[in-house]
Amino acid sequence: MDESTPPPPEAGSPPPPPPAVPAAILGSPTDFLKGVVGKRVVVRLTSGVDYRGVLSCLDGYMNIALEQTEEHVNGRVTNQYGDAFIRGNNVLYISAAESI
Amino acid sequence: MDATAAPGIQEPFDLIRLSLSERVFVKLRGDRELTGVLHAYDGHMNLILSDVEETILIVDGGEGGKTNGTVNLAKRKMAMLFVRGDGVILVRTSYDLLDAIDLCRRQKIVQKCAKLC
Amino acid sequence: MLIFSVFKTLTDQRVTVELKNDLSITGTLKSVDQFLNIRLDGIKVLDEQRYPHMMAVKNCFIRGSVVRYVQLPAEHVDTQLLEDATRREAANQTKR
Repeated sequence: MDESTPPPPEAGSPPPPPPAVPAAILGSPTDFLKGVVGKRVVVRLTSGVDYRGVLSCLDGYMNIALEQTEEHVNGRVTNQYGDAFIRGNNVLYISAAESI
Repeated sequence: MDATAAPGIQEPFDLIRLSLSERVFVKLRGDRELTGVLHAYDGHMNLILSDVEETILIVDGGEGGKTNGTVNLAKRKMAMLFVRGDGVILVRTSYDLLDAIDLCRRQKIVQKCAKLC
Repeated sequence: MLIFSVFKTLTDQRVTVELKNDLSITGTLKSVDQFLNIRLDGIKVLDEQRYPHMMAVKNCFIRGSVVRYVQLPAEHVDTQLLEDATRREAANQTKR
């Protein structure tokens, strides 16, 4: 009815200023994933189990191939594998275990 | 693509492809594990294995606390098995040969390090 | 598609389907579709004491998503053929 009413603030407000991040770690998730291929990583599954190893490769579903894999449950090494394939739907996150 | 230690692997499924007709170890949802010879798979990780041994981990008691529960293993064998992909968590390839070599190599490295220290 | 084809070659064979709720049903594989839904005839439940309501059931349709395993008749599976077909399908996947 009152056409002069300004639009709601959330729609009209300018985007928040970009966070202050060093240029080295700026980049998309894809850039991160490209960067960690061939590096040591920690893969945490939704079950809470961690897999530490060298990331050979991964695909769009986050299916993962790991080398020199160690399975960690509650901080303890429970298994050591040579190569392991992890089905992507189980992955909670991939974390770099060395500088990328 | 990055040149990693394993040649010829560009995507995770290559790892599985190279294990056709080899014995693999499969970790499944519901505390189940399988070993078997891999004959077929698809993009869902549906698998067909032969000479399969299944191990089910059954934890009795210790409800809530993780400390005092006894773990029982139930084992059974199946000649030819289709495994639906949605239950698969992990497939460990080069199960019986390369792992042993790898483990051996690692133990030697550890021994060397111990000597140096 | 590959696994679908495998099941098609096994129609009229006896298979044991194990469901995610631990129910195991043996029966003659009558048909299968692309979702790996399965129709079984002449069925028998493994643990009848535990599932007495299944005693009178002679045939069933199983939704693919509730299947954990299917035990196949090994003598009717050509493993060499399977491996070749799997490699062929994998090659087609990467091309796309």
